[in-house]
Amino acid sequence: SVSLCNTSQGCSAGFVSKVWKRDAHGYQQPLQCCDCFKDLRACFVLQAEVFPYPEIGNDELEEIKQLVAPVEKFFSDDVDSAKIDREATIPPETLQGLKDLGLFGIMIPEEYGGLGLSNTIYARLNEIIALDGSIAVTLAAHQAIGLKGILIAGNEAQKQKYLPKLASGEHIAAFCLTEPGSGSDAASIQTRATLSEDGKHYLINGSKIWISNGGMADIMTVFARTEVEVDGVKKDKISAFIVERAFGGITSGKPEDKLGIRGSNTCELSFDNVPVPVENVIGEIGGGFKIAMNILNSGRFSMGSSCAGMIKKLIELTSEYATTRKQFNKSLSEFGMIQEKFAMMALNAFVMESMAYLTSGMMDRPGIPDCSLEAAMVKVFSSEGGWICVSEALQVLGGLGYTKNYPFERFVRDCRILPIFEGTNEILRMYIALTGMQYAGKILTGKIKEMKKGNIGLAIGMVSKKLRASLGASVDLGLTGKDGVVHPSLEDSAKKLEQNVSLFGSTVESLLYRYGKTIVDEQLVLKRVADVLIHIYAMTAVLSRASRSISIGLRNHDHEVLLANTFCNDAFFKNNYWMVQLQKHSPENNDANIKKIAKQVLENRAYICSHPLERTY
Amino acid sequence: MKGSRCLHQLKSLRLLSHAGRLLPPAAGDNGALFRPRSSSQLGGLQCAQREVLRHFHSSPACTKGQPARFVQEEDKTRDKSLVTHDDLFEQVAKEAKTKATFNKVIDVYTKGDIRRRGHVEFIYAALKKMPEFGVEKDLTVYNKLLDVFPKEVFVPRNFIQRMFNHYPRQQECGVQVLEQMENYGIMPNIETKVLLVQIFGEKTHPMRKYQRIMYWFPKFKHVNPFPIPEQLPEDPVDLARFSLTRMANDWDAKVTVYQLPCTDVTESGAEVTLPHIVGIQSPGQMEALAKHNPDRPVFVEGPFPLWMRKTCVYYYVLRADPTPPEEKIEEPYDPERCLSYPLQLDLDLDRDLGDDESFDVEDLDEGPVFAMCMTSQGDQATLNQWISGLQESNPILGQIPTLFRLGAGPRELQGVGDADSASRSWFPSHVQREEAHPGEEAEAVVEEAEAVVEEAEAVVEEEPRRSQGVKQ
Repeated sequence: SVSLCNTSQGCSAGFVSKVWKRDAHGYQQPLQCCDCFKDLRACFVLQAEVFPYPEIGNDELEEIKQLVAPVEKFFSDDVDSAKIDREATIPPETLQGLKDLGLFGIMIPEEYGGLGLSNTIYARLNEIIALDGSIAVTLAAHQAIGLKGILIAGNEAQKQKYLPKLASGEHIAAFCLTEPGSGSDAASIQTRATLSEDGKHYLINGSKIWISNGGMADIMTVFARTEVEVDGVKKDKISAFIVERAFGGITSGKPEDKLGIRGSNTCELSFDNVPVPVENVIGEIGGGFKIAMNILNSGRFSMGSSCAGMIKKLIELTSEYATTRKQFNKSLSEFGMIQEKFAMMALNAFVMESMAYLTSGMMDRPGIPDCSLEAAMVKVFSSEGGWICVSEALQVLGGLGYTKNYPFERFVRDCRILPIFEGTNEILRMYIALTGMQYAGKILTGKIKEMKKGNIGLAIGMVSKKLRASLGASVDLGLTGKDGVVHPSLEDSAKKLEQNVSLFGSTVESLLYRYGKTIVDEQLVLKRVADVLIHIYAMTAVLSRASRSISIGLRNHDHEVLLANTFCNDAFFKNNYWMVQLQKHSPENNDANIKKIAKQVLENRAYICSHPLERTY
Repeated sequence: MKGSRCLHQLKSLRLLSHAGRLLPPAAGDNGALFRPRSSSQLGGLQCAQREVLRHFHSSPACTKGQPARFVQEEDKTRDKSLVTHDDLFEQVAKEAKTKATFNKVIDVYTKGDIRRRGHVEFIYAALKKMPEFGVEKDLTVYNKLLDVFPKEVFVPRNFIQRMFNHYPRQQECGVQVLEQMENYGIMPNIETKVLLVQIFGEKTHPMRKYQRIMYWFPKFKHVNPFPIPEQLPEDPVDLARFSLTRMANDWDAKVTVYQLPCTDVTESGAEVTLPHIVGIQSPGQMEALAKHNPDRPVFVEGPFPLWMRKTCVYYYVLRADPTPPEEKIEEPYDPERCLSYPLQLDLDLDRDLGDDESFDVEDLDEGPVFAMCMTSQGDQATLNQWISGLQESNPILGQIPTLFRLGAGPRELQGVGDADSASRSWFPSHVQREEAHPGEEAEAVVEEAEAVVEEAEAVVEEEPRRSQGVKQ
């Protein structure tokens, strides 16, 4: 049944295929059973790639250590984040420093002059780079999306021509997709590229907004509509172009005045008959949609390590204050509510790290693994966790944190962008949930149809299984026990994960039974599905990492076990609560009311309650 | 507790308000009249306050003797014969039917006879006359009317009286006053309650009525989600703007004034009055119109009535027939539409019946309405002006044949005063229409839509026919 997932077609192939295909290989002997739930569970848990936790070689580790030290030194000595924030620009000497460190070409292969580092090391470097939001965004816009198109879909000539200068930072790249009328909607891209009469150039006309590095970029990946003939019918399709500012006709608008990441340059770009040689088309003409999707999907994974790096820094900054500041003859650190904040920050950092490096490790596997689903989950989890942690860190300092004398308000402002860019969290939740649903649906369709037809045997089987589960029969996915992959200290947590996964399987089935393909429109349902998936993935990552840490005896691995167990316990209850909400007629489910409230408010475009001081007589 | 506190407050309030009211009427009356009245009212209240249990009548003894003189001076016809109370109002009404005169009649009556003989009849008569005096929506007048009842006489004093209908005629009359208030949507206030308690006592029929009103009225006060202001705008353009917005009920709908009403003098010296044309269209309607199949005609229909309280206005719509099922094309699913997630799932599973909530009795396909307008002159020429105005923002209208299906104006809705103008024109009564347009009147087209649809192209220019509905 697993092979079914290979049949996904068209654009959804990009979304689905790889993630699910993988577990077909990672399937373990004792688990091969015909129950289709297990396939579903398997895809989240029992991938050979998840257990054991990915490791890097010793030489690579050395390389990281050599690389990290100077970057850390540079960021602590030479980067004045407060000044960058205040003056809303990154000073040229800072930029030059970054270039000298090679940070503009971390992932560009060495033959094109880059550092040629893996995703894992890229993620590691991002922990440090993220200490300054403006620099992080500038670099990400340059290499995570700006030049990614050339890197993944460009031909040899294009790579030879552009990558060396981009790697050295001589040229800065930008990614131009968003337009005034479109965010994720490709259909509303209005920028158009028309072939010139001699057939040697495309003329690009239109405007793009919110382009990071838009003001200083020399090379841009621009997406525009082109006329393509498909089966004799002329159709508009999106194509990707490498556009140099030197081609002329490009004007950039005033830099946007933003809440955070103020040092990064974001502006509008307009293209007026910009002549782009035909050899600058990335991939083939009309194939821009897939390129855009792949670039976006691959750019997200590093946010987990960025947020973790930021939180680790915040813990250092705030713990000093909490331990020295006295209230009522006690230091702040003795108060439970302050302790809770630090525990939460540590937990979040730990989970983000685990997820981020698990994902980057999977991406570094040979072949071209598609980890877009995992990356999306990491992005959603870490951007939201990061926001909470930053605001709690500020809270520890109280009023002091609110002033510009401390960096916390800047962190809060910078951090607010995370749930917004690189795909808003709402949209990514849709992606996560629908990808899962599509996969599960492929497997379960036949069974559900049988059930709807009234297959009694199947129904009885279902009921008895539910009964057994409700009577407390344990679910065994082989995580623990004799051949288990999880360390015995984490057995309870692993059991919880197994229970969650099992319940999730039946929840997904009942959702598919109820909504079928119209589940696309049930956003509140999908949101919970996505949240459960994210937490299941987080539990998996944490268990895998902690198991490895114990096994090889890393320093403070007992603390990791503590964190892992705490997180799994917490996530277990959250998942159960969400899945109860997903049941039909569940009293915990307020969806109908929520929709109604929103409808009435939106119809009136105002808060419509009468003022409490109003009276009728 | 709370009630008694209110009662107490109210009494002192009334004292004040009476004291405040002393001066204005005194200006018109002579001094002799002024003194006893004020003292009687003040005295009466004080008595009621202090000696609630002792006195049945609210009027204290000191006022006795005064009313006789008052009646002689004030109203000579009244004591001569068995005048009905209607006549009393009629006599006063000869001067002017206002609140002041109405109050005067009540005053005359209450001062006239210490025993308030025939007060039930008087109150009934007064209730009937209230709309004529334009005081049917005035709470103070109702309270004043209730004040006519003698106080404490009808309050049951033992359980037998309480058990049976004590003073049924009086109670019924009291209920009638409240009923009329209810019909006019007047909410009683605490003063009404105090009066009712003083007159009838707790737990009597009028009190029950009062309580019921006070229970329901606040609940119904804001029950209308689309309230109409008490005062409608006077200016026809403003009125049209208001009513169109109200009908469209779309925040994005844009009102356009295609023509302001104005009067021009042509070279030949004839006065030409241009009617106002006010239209409304929302972006959604523009979009729907842009997608309309140009081979299928659109219709200008009207006039349709719209009642705004007591005003009726008329509007016209631009609409089309519902799209036949064979022309409805669903936009094909484009997998390269959304950059972030699949907009459709590739699944062969439909929604379960138990969760299918798509059934909707209101979901009837009546054909789209593309725009609405209001004008003071609903002939084809004027409406054509509207359509050409619309065409500026909806260029597709240039390709779509436009048919005018104008019905006869609803004559039966016209006011009495407009009877003769109504016989001349079919225009709605509120429309100010000059007589200078016999030609246009002939142009007024009432086309039977069915007959016209077939010859779609020709219709716009079609020779206007005069329908049988044009003239009476």
